[in-house]
Amino acid sequence: MMDTIQFILIYAIVLGSLYLLISLGFSVVCGVLRVFHMGYGVTFVVAVYGMWMLMKEFHFGLVPAVIGMFVIQTLFTLGIIYFPVVKRYIEQEELLLTSLILIALIVEEAANFFYPVTAGVNLPTTILPGAVKIGPASIPIQMLIASGVAIVTTAVFVLFLLKTKRGLVIRAVSQDRESAELMGANVGRIYALAMVLSVIPPTICILVIAPVWSIEPSLGLPLMMTSILVAILGGLGNIRGSIMASYIVGFLSSAVAFSVNPRMMGLATLITVFVVLIFRPEGIAKSESLW
Amino acid sequence: MLLKIQDLTKSFGGLVAVHKVSLSIEKGEVVGLIGPNGAGKTTLMNLISGYHKAISGRIEFDGADITGARPHKICRRGISRTFQIPRPFPDLTALANVAVGVLCGKHRPHMSYSDGLLDASHCLEFVGLFGKRNTLARDLTLYELRALELARALATTPKLIMIDEVMAGLNPGEASRAIKLVRRMIEEYHITIFWIEHVMKVIMEATERVIVLHYGEKIASGPPQEIVHDPKIIEAYLGEKIA
Amino acid sequence: MRIEHKRARLVFHIRDLKLEWAIEPRYWRNPLLAVAGLALLPLVIISKPDYLTLLTTANIYAAVAIPLAWQMVGIGRMNFGPQFFVGIGGFAAALLSIHLGWGPWQTLGIVILLGLGFGLALSPLTTIAKGLYFSLITLVLPLIFLEFTYVYTDVFKGETGLSGIAPLVNFGKIRTNYLVSCYFSLGLMLLSLYIVDKVLRSRIGLYEAAINDDEDVAETCGLNINGWKILCFTVTSVMIAVTGWFAAHYYGTFSGITYLHLPFMVKILLIVMIGGRGELYGSIVGAYFVAFLEQALTILGPVHYIVFPFVLLIMLSTLREGLYGLYRRHKYREYYPTIRVRKR
Repeated sequence: MMDTIQFILIYAIVLGSLYLLISLGFSVVCGVLRVFHMGYGVTFVVAVYGMWMLMKEFHFGLVPAVIGMFVIQTLFTLGIIYFPVVKRYIEQEELLLTSLILIALIVEEAANFFYPVTAGVNLPTTILPGAVKIGPASIPIQMLIASGVAIVTTAVFVLFLLKTKRGLVIRAVSQDRESAELMGANVGRIYALAMVLSVIPPTICILVIAPVWSIEPSLGLPLMMTSILVAILGGLGNIRGSIMASYIVGFLSSAVAFSVNPRMMGLATLITVFVVLIFRPEGIAKSESLW
Repeated sequence: MLLKIQDLTKSFGGLVAVHKVSLSIEKGEVVGLIGPNGAGKTTLMNLISGYHKAISGRIEFDGADITGARPHKICRRGISRTFQIPRPFPDLTALANVAVGVLCGKHRPHMSYSDGLLDASHCLEFVGLFGKRNTLARDLTLYELRALELARALATTPKLIMIDEVMAGLNPGEASRAIKLVRRMIEEYHITIFWIEHVMKVIMEATERVIVLHYGEKIASGPPQEIVHDPKIIEAYLGEKIA
Repeated sequence: MRIEHKRARLVFHIRDLKLEWAIEPRYWRNPLLAVAGLALLPLVIISKPDYLTLLTTANIYAAVAIPLAWQMVGIGRMNFGPQFFVGIGGFAAALLSIHLGWGPWQTLGIVILLGLGFGLALSPLTTIAKGLYFSLITLVLPLIFLEFTYVYTDVFKGETGLSGIAPLVNFGKIRTNYLVSCYFSLGLMLLSLYIVDKVLRSRIGLYEAAINDDEDVAETCGLNINGWKILCFTVTSVMIAVTGWFAAHYYGTFSGITYLHLPFMVKILLIVMIGGRGELYGSIVGAYFVAFLEQALTILGPVHYIVFPFVLLIMLSTLREGLYGLYRRHKYREYYPTIRVRKR
């Protein structure tokens, strides 16, 4: 009994940090652009397969591949997602959501075509191999490092939002776009900046966690559902809420996994989304803006 | 007594829009409601028609308690209203707009769809919009939209119509046509009217009794001649110095 | 002979005669012509059973899109998960057929009851949930169902799906089976079309157009908006569940991964978008277009999984209102209830 509780708590913290990192980008897009980024899963797919492509086809080393991959991500986000799609359809929600889902589907199918699951895609980003024992649980060190990276990244993000000038402008735009525009903020540029910023946490996450989790072209959808759950639970687009919500979801997932049935994890997550959407769609945090 | 309101209160967050308002309206009266901007007139109308729920107070209509009832039940009982900024159904024709009122206003189990359309065209003819019956509501002019609102309100065969600033934005010719229309409505249908209006001329000529709201409270009630000369009312509108 | 195109009418000048023909789905001769054409089509392509299957698939897609179009007008919100009810109908038919050996006509009754039950149970969502949240809830529902089938995989056979469902008709000869099933699908689609068309033209259509345009004003006029929304949602859910029933018995197999997962949702969404977002006759055009496009692109081989969404993306960006929008721009005036999907 004590063992199970320790398992649950340890994995709650580890999973919670990971979920935080995954959903940070989604919260940023939701909070600043007020758009439900239904194609958020595409970021993960592009990160993994972009890096694999750079290393396999162009024979980049590890560090140049990482840098190259960030460049690809930025170009992809600005060139394919932001300017042609989001900017054009920001007023018409249905077209926007449909186009984003379509883009995610195209990228997923392209990844499946070029590098199907059998091609053995794996990223050699293991920083420290092996596992360590915390209490009764044996956790891969990579996962602990991932959780640490998650917390550090979030802290950097929050500091950026609170302490820098750009962060202040982003917060202003997320609270009231029209007033910010009247004060002279270049909203178009802030939107582009927010989209690029939103790409960074998922990329870091998938880079660090790739050795431990399975890589397949359809990894975008479950990760996106998790981000949606965390975002909704924490109040759409609010980072403070997302932090709280991700640990709650982490606790929920690990509790279901260890005490009920590991196969039910996905189901429990989805049912929670459903219930939260019906009874408290505004989420935990009561504010409507980014911080 | 047709409509009786007791101690009605409504607040939005911290702002008290309507504070302990009590009034009563007899059958067949034409009562005006005046007050400076922000006095809570439209909120009062929203409360009576069921659009908002009051925090406290009681509304009785025709002997039945309608506090907190849903808007469509209140419409079925016989209260109808127009909107200050006309809100037609923009993608429906004028005929269809009024037909919705005819078919849903009261429980009419034996009225068929085409009967409803016929009734709707009668209402349109009454307000003078018969020629525009097949035009989409979003293509009508402001005066025609106001007339459409009245037609739709009439179509539900109400006992009490609440009219919200039907004169605003009309030029003098249209304004006099509108007043004639409302007069015809009173004479032919013998409906009770509760009229919010800013144009004093109309209040003086058309109404029998006037109620004045200021900051959500009722500060006076009486015949128009008395109200206009009451120093409290002048102070409410124009400030202390002038009074 | 001279042909003039004037304001959604074709005017034929033959010597001294002038004949007019309105290009308008509701002008009674046009649907009659289309139905006659569709009825003769299976006999023409009877030699190629692939084409018969294609036609049946197109009819099945249309049979999902038609009630969905009515639902979008009636509740004023975009439903991202109609495939939940397809799944209910299909799985109910499949499980009853496999485990109890029931034939298609016996499972139909249970499917209708289940559709009614689930529709009623979920209908309060239309009144409680606002705008985007309703779309999100409906998006999540089929995924919950899918996870459910994975968890209880011994019952639902998770990834592989159920097979061995009793066929719809069995005349012994395969070609006759295909032909009769094709006519069945056509009948199903036309029945849905007839029901929804009659409803939208009656006073119920007027009420739903009013609810769609401005809910609060409609309530002030005496409309019981919650009642009508619940009715619309429940009836359309039953119709969509029946489509699931048909698909299960026609194909003989039914799996969650085909019908409950994202690609199928995207297909339906695109049928709705290409068909002009809530237009009744447009959704038939959209359904046929998507079905034919899907089949045509399979020539390309495995690449077609990429090309299919790509083509649809291009179409979405160039044709804002879908294919039906091309037609609408040439028409004179539209007095039919049009959808306005509300954000609030």
